[in-house]
Amino acid sequence: MTAIQHVFTESLPDLIDASEYSRYPDGALVRIRISVTDTGVEILGDGLRPEFIEQVLAAISVDPMEQMLCG
Amino acid sequence: MTADPGPQWRPAMFGEPAGSGRVRCTLCPFRCVLADGQAGVCKVRRNDAGTLRTATYTAGVVHLTAVERKPFYHVRPGAQVLTVAGPGCSFRCDYCINYRISQYGRDDAAPWLGEPALPAELAARAAAAGALLGMSYSEPSLAPELTLDLASHGVPVVWKSNGYVTAEAISVLAPALLAVNIDVKAADEASHRRLTGASLGPVWNAIERFHAAGVWVEISTPLIPGTSAAPESLRAIAARIASIDVNIPWHLLRFTPDYRLAGADPTPPSALTIGRSIGLDCGLLYVYVERALGPAGRNTACPQCQTQLVHRDVWQMVHNVIKGGRCPGCGFLMVGRW
Repeated sequence: MTAIQHVFTESLPDLIDASEYSRYPDGALVRIRISVTDTGVEILGDGLRPEFIEQVLAAISVDPMEQMLCG
Repeated sequence: MTADPGPQWRPAMFGEPAGSGRVRCTLCPFRCVLADGQAGVCKVRRNDAGTLRTATYTAGVVHLTAVERKPFYHVRPGAQVLTVAGPGCSFRCDYCINYRISQYGRDDAAPWLGEPALPAELAARAAAAGALLGMSYSEPSLAPELTLDLASHGVPVVWKSNGYVTAEAISVLAPALLAVNIDVKAADEASHRRLTGASLGPVWNAIERFHAAGVWVEISTPLIPGTSAAPESLRAIAARIASIDVNIPWHLLRFTPDYRLAGADPTPPSALTIGRSIGLDCGLLYVYVERALGPAGRNTACPQCQTQLVHRDVWQMVHNVIKGGRCPGCGFLMVGRW
């Protein structure tokens, strides 16, 4: 099994609004959007725990995986 | 797939002989004494046959984003920043979201990334975009050589840093920097050392030295459970900032569970509300929360007449009515690098 490649990207759309934070105090929220684009299928994930998003995306073999950086 | 070429090492600043072929690196307060072939705590500076060399003259990530993302709220609101980052950090923070680039040399999840930086090209690209140059994502203070070369092209340079840098390095680097945003991740030595692997004292020293040198300073504190999130911890941090300058903007960051702290809970918005009140209660004039508290948390108001001066959406400025560095309503001096 090879490691998933992580690619750092400038920006990704938000799927979670800040007003939702208080409804998920344990961070158990993952939201996935699947879109058909001109070049294929785009799978976008957002969540309050990055680990959960990555587990979901890895389970459906998203590779490489784009992510934003902090700062 | 081609093999990763790995880092390219080049002569580094802040190295001095330490006897018997060893070299002392005086860039950060660890002041590592390195035997031939040995790398420092940071893993990106090493003794190569008696010469200190660095791997940080590197562009692994180059992104053009808003200055508000660093975050800087009192530096050219609405400006873009061309951010350059290579692998490496002097800290090993348990919560680091950027560990895949910052923890190079410590964690197999952070492979080498990048090629030698080309300062003239980076500066030209920033200038063409009307942008500042930024160094962020990993630890910029580990790249003094690149910082100075970027600054030599006339585009202002900003850092998002852990502040773990020595007085002698600051004296050389401060003239090259427009602004620094420094993380204060804990209120006490034991908590800071547990979280980061490094002492807190030098971070405060760096903040004071950059501020005294005329570099614009903003401070960020992530509300980390068991480390910084408790009200008494936030009060201690806010009081220390206020003792330096009440004009220093304080950014309270929502903790996102990740890396070795993936099992903790995220910061509740109520804790950020409390933290903001604590900061203002300690006398700080500008305490910001980017997202969780809505526009009220990220807008800039005049401390004297409460006129809303800088309106922000998430990670971007909407409009700014500060004129000549003053509030147009009452003339209050708004300190920053506008």
